[in-house]
Amino acid sequence: MKKNVLSVILAVLTLLAFTGCGTKPTAEPAPQKTDVEKIRIALVLPATVDDMAWGQSMVDGLKEVQKSMGEDKVEVAISEKLGNAVDAGSAIRQYATQGYEIIFAHGSQYQSVLNDIAKDFPETTFAYGTGFATQPNIFAYDPQAQEGGYLLGILAAHMTKSGVVGIIGPVESGDAVKYNYGVQQGVAKGKADVQTRIAYTGSFNDIVGAGNLAKTQMSAGADILTGSSQQAVGAVRAIGETEGNYWLSTDMDQSSIAPNHVLASQVYHWEKVVTKIIELRKQGTLGGQHLTLTLADGTIEFKYNEKLADKVPAEVKAAVEAAKQEIISGKLKVELPKK
Amino acid sequence: MSSNYNGVFKQIMVLISALVGALLVGALFLLLAKSDPVKAYGVMFSGPFSDKFGITETLVRAVPLLLVGLGIVISFRSGIINIGAEGQILAGAIGATAVATSLPDLPAVMLLPLVFLAGATCGGLWGGIAGWLKARLSVNEILSTVMLNQIALQIYLFLIRGPLIDPKEVSYGTGVPQTALIPEHIWLSKLIPGTRIHSGLIFALLLAVLVYVFLWKTSSGYRMRAVGAGPEAARYAGIRVEWYLVLAMALAGGMAGLAGVVEVAGVHHRSLEGLSAGYGFSGIVAALFGRLHPLGTIPASVLFGALLVGADMMQRAVNIPAAMIMVIQGLVVLFVVSSDYFLQNPDFGARIKAKLFGEKADGEGGK
Amino acid sequence: MDGVMSADIIVIILATGIRLATPFLLAALGEMFVQRSGVYNLGVEGIMMMGAFAGFYATLQLGTPLLGIAISLAIGALMGLIMAVVSVTFKAEQGISGIGLYMFGWGLSGLLFRLYVGGVTSIDGLKPIAIPLLSNIPIIGPVLFNHNGLVYTAFLLVPLSGLILYKTSWGLNVRAVGNKPEAADTLGVSVVRIRYECLILGGMLAALAGAFLTIGQANMYADNITAGRGFIAIALVYFGRWSPWGILLGSLLFSMADSFQSMVQVLGINFPYELAVILPYLVTIIALAISYGRVWAPAALGKPFQRGTRG
Repeated sequence: MKKNVLSVILAVLTLLAFTGCGTKPTAEPAPQKTDVEKIRIALVLPATVDDMAWGQSMVDGLKEVQKSMGEDKVEVAISEKLGNAVDAGSAIRQYATQGYEIIFAHGSQYQSVLNDIAKDFPETTFAYGTGFATQPNIFAYDPQAQEGGYLLGILAAHMTKSGVVGIIGPVESGDAVKYNYGVQQGVAKGKADVQTRIAYTGSFNDIVGAGNLAKTQMSAGADILTGSSQQAVGAVRAIGETEGNYWLSTDMDQSSIAPNHVLASQVYHWEKVVTKIIELRKQGTLGGQHLTLTLADGTIEFKYNEKLADKVPAEVKAAVEAAKQEIISGKLKVELPKK
Repeated sequence: MSSNYNGVFKQIMVLISALVGALLVGALFLLLAKSDPVKAYGVMFSGPFSDKFGITETLVRAVPLLLVGLGIVISFRSGIINIGAEGQILAGAIGATAVATSLPDLPAVMLLPLVFLAGATCGGLWGGIAGWLKARLSVNEILSTVMLNQIALQIYLFLIRGPLIDPKEVSYGTGVPQTALIPEHIWLSKLIPGTRIHSGLIFALLLAVLVYVFLWKTSSGYRMRAVGAGPEAARYAGIRVEWYLVLAMALAGGMAGLAGVVEVAGVHHRSLEGLSAGYGFSGIVAALFGRLHPLGTIPASVLFGALLVGADMMQRAVNIPAAMIMVIQGLVVLFVVSSDYFLQNPDFGARIKAKLFGEKADGEGGK
Repeated sequence: MDGVMSADIIVIILATGIRLATPFLLAALGEMFVQRSGVYNLGVEGIMMMGAFAGFYATLQLGTPLLGIAISLAIGALMGLIMAVVSVTFKAEQGISGIGLYMFGWGLSGLLFRLYVGGVTSIDGLKPIAIPLLSNIPIIGPVLFNHNGLVYTAFLLVPLSGLILYKTSWGLNVRAVGNKPEAADTLGVSVVRIRYECLILGGMLAALAGAFLTIGQANMYADNITAGRGFIAIALVYFGRWSPWGILLGSLLFSMADSFQSMVQVLGINFPYELAVILPYLVTIIALAISYGRVWAPAALGKPFQRGTRG
């Protein structure tokens, strides 16, 4: 019966914790206050604030908004490493309770959680992506990753000497697939005889695995590589140690990791998306819109690494530019993968 | 009776001392992170218990922890070190989701039991593989369950991005790896509106009692524990050791599978990325805190759930890196397991305890 | 498929496999000594992360990977010592102490990285050392003799561990303590001391495995850099039946399967990549299942030693 005694102890201990702590003053300001002057924005991230990819690009965007609107006008709170939807749900709900007006849940896996929470906080604006499904107070944002991917693909097709372009993917889903599909179409359009080889690490954050996969890609002939999500930085670093191979980055400009190897980037301008959501909210629209990021509205930028810009021949730049204008004018629609 | 009360008091004091010790060491790291330990700990301990939100979030974590913990109790009691709960959770979740989404028109009274059964079966089969490998082919279960976790994760990801993906994700071109929502009439009802706590809590509590009855009041349970206590002796006594090893792992996997079902039906309403918040590991810790007893695991799950919620709240309240949460959890585990020693060696314990309390008084004086 | 698996490709697969095997080999050999002494340390993953960070940070600050390795070893020894205090002196349940150490190591390495580095920062890691003459041998030269120093170290540690375990009196003591601690104690061998030594050695090797990831492969650090490799290493100790050569075989088999699956994907051979990613795990389980028989685990594995009590 010793075991029973022990379970009683644990029960008592739990009770102690309940009663003992109930007397302490609570640190949380619960009331939902709406400050007219100051906008309070919260961000929930699946990975880290400094991942040099998806997460950091959004953090940089929020900082940009803070700078342009004034530090005293925008308050930003961030919770990171909330990859599982349960903990993310707690964080989002807590931010909503604390009266944050706009809450960015920066991951496609947060859709269900938001649907659940948003009903209880009808005055709060929620936004998440990548996604399409909205609610009256939920915005969904959706970067058209395939558009920049297409342009990078054209560039890759013209710049490769070996005739092989390699992609280091994380997991075959969502944005990664969209981006990869865009690159594939761009490569095929650029030069018909250039091959695109896709391989996946099976993980969003295994940088060592991505580095090794990049080495395998290069040893099997690829000399231009690209890939998405935070694992990709491992691949960028691996390429940085070689000669004559280039990396094309997406989500943000990754040239600081390997200044002599990152040729061009697809950059998401989250500050424009954030500003738009702030404006919409001011006008009384709390949500309900599916916001795409595109080349046409400037939320996606195609950017060369200035340091390496002279390595790209003028006619290649012209080909990329022509395709870009076609996409912007709507003449060319980069296809999405169909299953 | 009085000596028994003394014992209980002593055990509580030792556990509290261990917690205090862990927190004192943790405070050093908080100082390193340039945040105020008193404020940080204030949030960590008051947060989970100070309002409806904190309490319900704690219980939301406690439900899967308890279910996984019950499976761990069964397997560890039968002498199997099951590290595979994480994979078994995923197997249960995906099995439940598949059944729920393919039979949306069935009434809840039929569909809900079917969904639970499907989840338990999938989890049980996944656990059973490790049990069978151990019983028939002497494959070490630590090895096989670690490997099976990875395999389950990849199969799960394949299913939610491939055959079971929400058709809407394909038609909109977003391709997010998640299944369609399960029919709304089988969502577990919320115990308190405006929170996430669902009726899975009651289910888990009932199951804890059931597991207790099974392990201590039935002959199967007795045989299982006999196998755990000593397989050779059990064999000598005529118990079919192999059969009970497989059964124990299947039951453990079934429990973890049910944790997956409850997460799907109660919290997420679909299968998606990051479904399990590391419950496969935390569940082991909860079960061991509960002294591998089904009823002891109940308060242990609540306690550990509170630790998870409180540490997470601390991140937002005092603005420290999320990694600090893991540091404190790790320290708590290390100190609490070490504290067992003081219970078994009272003399040594008494000496150290005197020292610890001296230190604690100093620390409070400094506030 | 025909012609795809040419000699070149096979060389790449083999060379990559050898590189991938290194962290498993280092960590698993360390864990082998730990388990031989009767303790199992599930905290290897946490120690690896600490070692990975320490090696990375020291290299970043001091500019030389060799000092990075030295500091990483010291941190590993410290982590091993913590495990020893908890599981040997305080006789705590080993599985749970290991999980505690894992959480602590993961958290602390992530915390220190955020506090003192932050962001994506590159270092100059170890460079491959081509062994003169040997590296010029066709085919096997580049496979075996063009790696960085830690790769050679890991492979040299295999015979060395064998010698230590089976041919030295210390190795004899380790095995005795793991199999019959009471008997060893009666003969005047300090069970506690041997277990402390093994846990510290195991910690150092696990940290070295972590350091290999940062300064021998990625040349940078990121949260959760080990991505489960520490747990695989523990599994490989069982696979290798607590013998250095068995561990070598297991590490190579696992890594070659991994290297093979990457190449299969890269060459565009069409089947679901998830299947490719799980191939190494599947191969390990199957290999173990078909070679079944008696498992020669140290008899006292997982049992804290209490002088004067038996069994």
